[in-house]
Amino acid sequence: MEPHARANPTVITDFSVTPHDDQPAEVSDCWNQIGVSGNQTCRELSRHIHCQNCPVYSAAAVQLLDRPLSAEDRRAWTEHYAHEKPLGAPAKTSALLFRLDGEWLALPTTAFQEITERRVVHSLPHRRLAIVLGLVNVRGELLICASLARLLGLEFRPPAKPVRAVFDRLLVADWNGERFAFPVDEVHGVHRFHQSDLRKPPATIARSGLNCARGVFPWRNFAVGFLDADAVFAALNRNLA
Amino acid sequence: MLFVLFQLGQDRYALEARRVVEVLPLLALKRLPASPRGVAGVFVYRGQPVPALDLCELTLGRPAREQLSTRILLVQHRQTAGPSQLIGLVAERVTGTLRREEKDFVPAGHVRPERQASPASAPYVAGMKRAATPFLGPILIDDQGVIQLLDAQGLLDAGAHQLLLTQSVEVSDAPH
Repeated sequence: MEPHARANPTVITDFSVTPHDDQPAEVSDCWNQIGVSGNQTCRELSRHIHCQNCPVYSAAAVQLLDRPLSAEDRRAWTEHYAHEKPLGAPAKTSALLFRLDGEWLALPTTAFQEITERRVVHSLPHRRLAIVLGLVNVRGELLICASLARLLGLEFRPPAKPVRAVFDRLLVADWNGERFAFPVDEVHGVHRFHQSDLRKPPATIARSGLNCARGVFPWRNFAVGFLDADAVFAALNRNLA
Repeated sequence: MLFVLFQLGQDRYALEARRVVEVLPLLALKRLPASPRGVAGVFVYRGQPVPALDLCELTLGRPAREQLSTRILLVQHRQTAGPSQLIGLVAERVTGTLRREEKDFVPAGHVRPERQASPASAPYVAGMKRAATPFLGPILIDDQGVIQLLDAQGLLDAGAHQLLLTQSVEVSDAPH
């Protein structure tokens, strides 16, 4: 089949290879001969790059769809569309998922203002408690940078092999007007889930002594600890004193 | 603006995509006996009965071919009174979309219908033998010819009128 050169890019489907009304024409698989799956000698390839973008290819697809509809297909589709579409209730709770060492945690999305790159922390003198790491400069404003891991009492194993951390981020949180920054090892992003998916927190979070966990919810192969923002930031404030 | 392209016979038509709820394959249609021309029947969509109009029957006088590319465009019909209703439009070669501005469609020309019912309801009657095609809108010319815009609201106002007529017949048959 000779590809033609009068394709309009806004027309997705090309009807130029129109068979007669009664008998569908034989589909010529030029994409297997001179196209990307063939010897790639088609001169239209320089323009369309891939056969998928070529009107001849889409016209062939249209031709394939001109085959008669079998009674079996029609019956199956009829049954499929007759049934109620199973729709889950919309997930209402939105949380930002992040990782501290091996632990995936989440806080309400509304608690966060910004996810930014990790940057230099200016340490503060006379801070024995290691929860406050120091000050960071975020858009010209000095924010207290705190270690959420230490606040929650998560124990860190030293990494078995030194991994170059490329996923680490700095989360900027705002809770009732007070802004904090804390580094995390990885941010997944915003995740929505049902309140009913929340289960009782496991020992890893409960043992921290802080009553920060509202529960855990399943995500991929992990149980994510959903933290109570009020409790976390109240605990952080207590530790600043 | 996105349009769904389809064919009725060899002629190409477009329908505003925002009016289309879903494009369904050609489902089994329960025929409605003694229904007016163009009413293809009723199918069940997600548990509710939906009437279907065969656009080929309406425009060409023959039912749509039973092919894989013949599909049902499910559209929402906003009625002037009462709740909006889903209606299926059976069309051939529902295989493509087109992104164009609405102003790219130009009037097809004012062809005076032989029997003028109402000039306002039938402004464009291009290439159609019948005067009763208030649902055919302006046309777009591309490198493959002419695409005519289908005015779903105009069609459904006419089509729904037919459907409602059949319903009123059923109501009058009910015992008093």
